[in-house]
Amino acid sequence: MDVPRLSFMDRLHAAILAIGGSGLVCAYWIAFFHSDLTLPKFVHNVDNPDVVRLATVYMGFESAFPLADLLVAVTSALAAFYLIGRDAKAVLFGLIASGALGFLAFIDISFNLLHGLYAPANLFSDSGLQMEAVINVGCVVGATWSIWRLWGHPLRRAEDRPSRLRAMETASLDTAGN
Amino acid sequence: MAVSLPVACFIAAVGIGILVEAAAGVFKMWTYRSPPFVLVNVVVVFGLIQGYGVGWVIGGHGALRGVFPVLFMVGAVLGILIEGLNQYLLHAWSWSDRPLFGISRAIDKSAFVGVAWGFAPLFTVLFARLIVKASMGV
Repeated sequence: MDVPRLSFMDRLHAAILAIGGSGLVCAYWIAFFHSDLTLPKFVHNVDNPDVVRLATVYMGFESAFPLADLLVAVTSALAAFYLIGRDAKAVLFGLIASGALGFLAFIDISFNLLHGLYAPANLFSDSGLQMEAVINVGCVVGATWSIWRLWGHPLRRAEDRPSRLRAMETASLDTAGN
Repeated sequence: MAVSLPVACFIAAVGIGILVEAAAGVFKMWTYRSPPFVLVNVVVVFGLIQGYGVGWVIGGHGALRGVFPVLFMVGAVLGILIEGLNQYLLHAWSWSDRPLFGISRAIDKSAFVGVAWGFAPLFTVLFARLIVKASMGV
């Protein structure tokens, strides 16, 4: 099949989707179930009953995420897969993945804000919460950038056909040249 | 003789791989460029990567209830990676003209099968636990 070359930005986008949207999500959940790496320090505090209660709620809340993150990881991988193949389905799966990622990030941020976990005193003293804040910000920024880029991508109007995509790119180059 | 869980994961995954390749052969879904690739796919990809690697490392410790989505997630992501490598780089196997569950384009078949790889570690862990129990006579 005559497939046009990938631009640098498409390669970068595919790498971010594959590594950030799929690889890191998988790595996070493997670490969550097999180590304490992803857990904030406060969940180990067994002295204060209020903190123990919050830790129970926090762990229950976090444990509900793997199934939802499955959607993000799989659709991100599919978006990267189709983007490398210059196929229009990259836009569909990319928008699903980015939308889901942003949605989950905002739920997480909302929970952490409402329960005071992002209060400066907690945030500055707990490296686990700092990592979570970085992940939350990374997810919102990454999802927004991905949606913005895919919405203006030529594949959005390409109807699955690389030959048509090439014709569109040639036409836009001709227009720019005139 | 009692079989350990890591060995059982490998055996279960290889068994699933043999079943999948046999079914694909009967229904002529895909063909390999060369026969050794079938062996590599069953032993390395099914047995070592999805079975021992994903199944044992992620699902081989403690309760399975919460870890099921992670098993599927990692299996599917690796599956899409494997199908992508084949589709764009290796060309070790190619799709026949027969539709797969109504899907006709090769790239869509690769994506569909990539996601379906997620079931491999899931069933591997379930079967592996049965193998361990059977080997202990439970």
